[in-house]
Amino acid sequence: MLKLTDLTASVGEAGEARTILNGLSLEVPAGEVHAIMGPNGAGKSTLSYVLTGKAGYEVSGGSAWLDGHDLLALDPEERAALGLFLSFQYPLEVPGVPVMTFVRAAMNAQRKARGEAEISAPDFIKMARDIGKELNLSADMLKRPLNVGFSGGEKKRLEIFQMRMLEPRFAILDETDSGLDIDALRIVAEGVNALRSPERGMLVITHYQRLLDYIVPDKVHVLSHGRVILTGGPELALRLEKEGYDGIEGAAA
Amino acid sequence: MAPARGALSPTFPDASPAERALADRFMAGTVDGRRGRAFEAFARTGLPHRRLEGWRWTDFRAALATLAPVTATGHGQALPVADGAVTLRFSGEEIFLPDSLPDGLILHTKADAPALAGAEEAPMAALAAALAGRGTGPDTVILEVCGRVAEPVHIVCEGGGAEVNFARIAVIVRPGGALDLVESHLGGAGLSSVLIEIDVAASGQLRRTLSQRGDAHEAQAITALVHLDEGASYIQTALAFGARVARIETRLVHRGTGSAAVLNGVYLCAGGQHVDFTSHVRHGAPACTTRQVTKGAVLKGGRGVFQGKFLVPRDIGQHTDADMQHQALLLEQGAEVFAKPELEIYADDVECAHGNTSGALDPDMLFYLRQRGIPLTEARAMLTQAFIAEALAAAGGGTHEALSAAASRFLSGVSL
Amino acid sequence: MGGSGFLQGFAMDSRVKDGIDQETVAAARALESENYRAGFSTDIETEYAPKGLDESTVRFISAKKDEPDWLLDWRLKAYQRWLTMTEPDWAMVEYDPINYQDIYFYAAPKAGAKYESLDDVPREILETYEKLGIPLREAEVLLGVEGAAETAAAAREPRRIAVDAVFDSVSVATTFRAELEKAGVIFMSISEAVHQHPDLIKAYLGSVVPQSDNYFATLNSAVFSDGTFVYIPPGVRCPMELSTYFRMNAENTGQFERTLIIADKGAYVSYLEGCTAPMRDENQLHAAVVELVALDDAEIKYSTVQNWWPGDETGKGGIYNFVTKRGDCRGPRSKISWTQVETGSAVTWKYPSCILRGDDSVGEFYSIAVTNGRQMADTGTKMIHLGKRTRSRIISKGISAGRSDNTYRGLVSINGKAAQARNFTQCDSLLIGGDCGAHTVPYVENRRADAQLEHEATTTKLSEDQLFYVRQRGLGEEDAVALLVNGFVREVLQELPMEFAVEAQSLLKVSLEGSVG
Repeated sequence: MLKLTDLTASVGEAGEARTILNGLSLEVPAGEVHAIMGPNGAGKSTLSYVLTGKAGYEVSGGSAWLDGHDLLALDPEERAALGLFLSFQYPLEVPGVPVMTFVRAAMNAQRKARGEAEISAPDFIKMARDIGKELNLSADMLKRPLNVGFSGGEKKRLEIFQMRMLEPRFAILDETDSGLDIDALRIVAEGVNALRSPERGMLVITHYQRLLDYIVPDKVHVLSHGRVILTGGPELALRLEKEGYDGIEGAAA
Repeated sequence: MAPARGALSPTFPDASPAERALADRFMAGTVDGRRGRAFEAFARTGLPHRRLEGWRWTDFRAALATLAPVTATGHGQALPVADGAVTLRFSGEEIFLPDSLPDGLILHTKADAPALAGAEEAPMAALAAALAGRGTGPDTVILEVCGRVAEPVHIVCEGGGAEVNFARIAVIVRPGGALDLVESHLGGAGLSSVLIEIDVAASGQLRRTLSQRGDAHEAQAITALVHLDEGASYIQTALAFGARVARIETRLVHRGTGSAAVLNGVYLCAGGQHVDFTSHVRHGAPACTTRQVTKGAVLKGGRGVFQGKFLVPRDIGQHTDADMQHQALLLEQGAEVFAKPELEIYADDVECAHGNTSGALDPDMLFYLRQRGIPLTEARAMLTQAFIAEALAAAGGGTHEALSAAASRFLSGVSL
Repeated sequence: MGGSGFLQGFAMDSRVKDGIDQETVAAARALESENYRAGFSTDIETEYAPKGLDESTVRFISAKKDEPDWLLDWRLKAYQRWLTMTEPDWAMVEYDPINYQDIYFYAAPKAGAKYESLDDVPREILETYEKLGIPLREAEVLLGVEGAAETAAAAREPRRIAVDAVFDSVSVATTFRAELEKAGVIFMSISEAVHQHPDLIKAYLGSVVPQSDNYFATLNSAVFSDGTFVYIPPGVRCPMELSTYFRMNAENTGQFERTLIIADKGAYVSYLEGCTAPMRDENQLHAAVVELVALDDAEIKYSTVQNWWPGDETGKGGIYNFVTKRGDCRGPRSKISWTQVETGSAVTWKYPSCILRGDDSVGEFYSIAVTNGRQMADTGTKMIHLGKRTRSRIISKGISAGRSDNTYRGLVSINGKAAQARNFTQCDSLLIGGDCGAHTVPYVENRRADAQLEHEATTTKLSEDQLFYVRQRGLGEEDAVALLVNGFVREVLQELPMEFAVEAQSLLKVSLEGSVG
């Protein structure tokens, strides 16, 4: 499904560019959830931006394929239309654009790109209402401008709402647990788990093991200095929690 | 005081061909004293140009070398206004007036022109006062609002391809009266200048909503002179697409305690199009409020200009509450936005503020939308539409949707 | 026609030099009630050029300074140009017409410009310094008496300031020269520099403010008397703050100071300027020119406290301050920062500006302008963005009291090549009393879609509630005003070198005396 090979990328203006990803290789088969863990500065967020195509990240080597498509050759919206979804670590406030308007525009744009028919207004509203209820987002909140005036936890729930609505093939969750209290964390995790399926892959980026109690991964990769230094099962996350990144990095070196 | 024909030349030196043609037009008609003074006020500067402080970014003289007819008879449709609207149409030298009027509205036409106060400060308004209505129609059209008029009044200015189109309309709102005034300025003349004089008496209300269109062969000036008495309310919303030069100028005086004004505007400029929103608000009475939001979006080769000024005189301007915001997006390289938000304040117990921003759409916001699958062009249109929405929100006469849709058509037709 | 001249090329800037240590102005301002302590006149013999201005005046000044022919020609060219120009009228200030034929364009202390020892300095000059609180205990050092520099320099804590004192139009003393020389820093009067460093003068004089720039700058180019020259060689961080203490003295003497500061690649210098002027009845014209050049990676910080005689309660007398100050960020990553505290002068026109030519260069303008009585100030800045990723920041705080008018006039211009330029402007006005005016006239010209410009401005009055709160806690009315005003201007005070900030605070208080109640 998702296959990254020797991915190398830098950020910043030419001359002052810093290499953040340094030969990263990774494969997530369909139906699996993988976690990426690593200390600050390991390149976790960079990985999510490189895969989704944010400007300012220069890929100098390697490749990234999703379902046989060369991601790096595509615009951000084309990647999204393939079903690649990023739950942002810091969701942006977009004044003047109501959540419902926005999600519907996104859904129809993706459908159009895939040659599918648009969703009807009643179907859309019903779907939004149902999923909103599960995530404890009121109809009133969904009419408000995107993320504007939402708390940190509400913004994260709104990210998951969008993911549920757009039903991506592959989702990247970037530090979705940061800033969440335990109740919000559970709601978010349930939202994510509801999407797990044999056709779908996920990459869960997190700094702490805590989230993985709720979203149990098939594999855990430890990222350090822009590459995967260690891969294991869920138990690896627990070991990280105990020994810290320094210990693991030392052992892997 | 009426200038003799020969006396005009000393006040009008170095006239351009267009200015000479305007002088000839003036001389060709009957010259009464009031028109004469108005034309003299115009001739003092001629077609306004960049060496005048208030016109540094909008140069009518340079834009209008000669007076010539144009191929377009007008641009687009007049705004769809709520049912029952009364339409007044100003087309070249013809004026079409409605046959029947709603309750509370009286229409006066006069064969001579009233005096124009402050003509020196508004040369294009002075030109309209000097030359309006000298064809087959009346010189001045006066709308008197004696009660709460339920139906909007719609003024349509469309040149029909003429050299010039001048109009002068006065709107007098009597105490407690209320009116929705809608204006469609559709261009279709080499030079259009429309003068609207508005007087809102105590507790009266006027909501003015206008839309302007034109092309790169046309120069357009729309000048409103507004006076507000005690407790009067005035709400203005303008959407402008520009012309070679287009100036939408509002000179407003708070004349009675506690009057309130809203001056909102949106400009959307494609290549070769120029919009200038200029306003001058005098807080000439205590405890008046002004709220002003102007938004703009400009493409390559377009130019947006905003000049706003709040003048708060000593003593009588106490307890003024005024806020002016101008925010512009330069959607492409090669766009230009010039702004001068000005405060001149001589009273101490006031709250006055202004803000001015210009730049691109936030790239992170764009990325967020694109990550969700919305194509770049659509994402830009969506964000720009959201950005300008606030400044159209107060539109009246049932035109809000039409204005939003017009903006939306412009923005989605933009392939960047 | 308002400000149309403001944007025509570059316009005026009023300015003065000074740079004293703190206590100086504070001390000078610790006046008995309304009296302006700096307003005394020193009685020394003065050598004047004949009153009025014609070509012979220009030749006289040049000859006095024994200038080379090229400089005389340069002056004469400026003079010819000036004859063709008209005085600008676009600022929001009003003053009686200036009779240029009734002004002395040159005055020098007769003893000459140089003193080998303290004994050679006329007693009156030393006393003047003393009254103003200049630390004359260090006079020997200040005046460069041999052997004194090292000891006194070492004794002075914690920071040191080198003073190039200008008495009327001629430098009479230079300090710390030895130590500066060690660092390779050139710090001397501009007339000395004409002889000692002609190549630098030729290369840079008029390169930021061209001779024909504006009426007053052109006049200055013709008749400039003296001023400061600073050159910091590549990679050198100037070991101390440099300062010119400047003072007008002779009756009816126009002041035409010329300052040129060059920071070569990677150099840094902080320059302080401050001034006082004697009380007198006739208006005095001051038309200085300051040029700053920052080459690659260089930084110049230029700070001013200006408290010239503003005239009496009726507005009589007082200084006309029409100055052109401009910095050129010529090299990539260079930075020029202007900080000013303007409390004096009857009429001020002054727009310290930055040309952001080098890519990634930075311009800053921090200003406090206080007007009281009948003062009129029209001041602000211009930030001209030419290079890529250039950034500028403008923080202006205007305080109007009495019957004064205080105008901020500014320009932010983004050239079509200034990719990703940034500007932030904050412009706040405070009104104290109902008889003054506060005006804001910003011009913003953006020609780049990837530029980001933000401007905010507010006008408010001093809050009666706050005032009452503070007074309820026991502060007197004037102290309460001073406290609140200091809060209002804090962002700018922070930008001043520390001693200057202390001085500026007391200056603000003195300037606003009598404005409330």
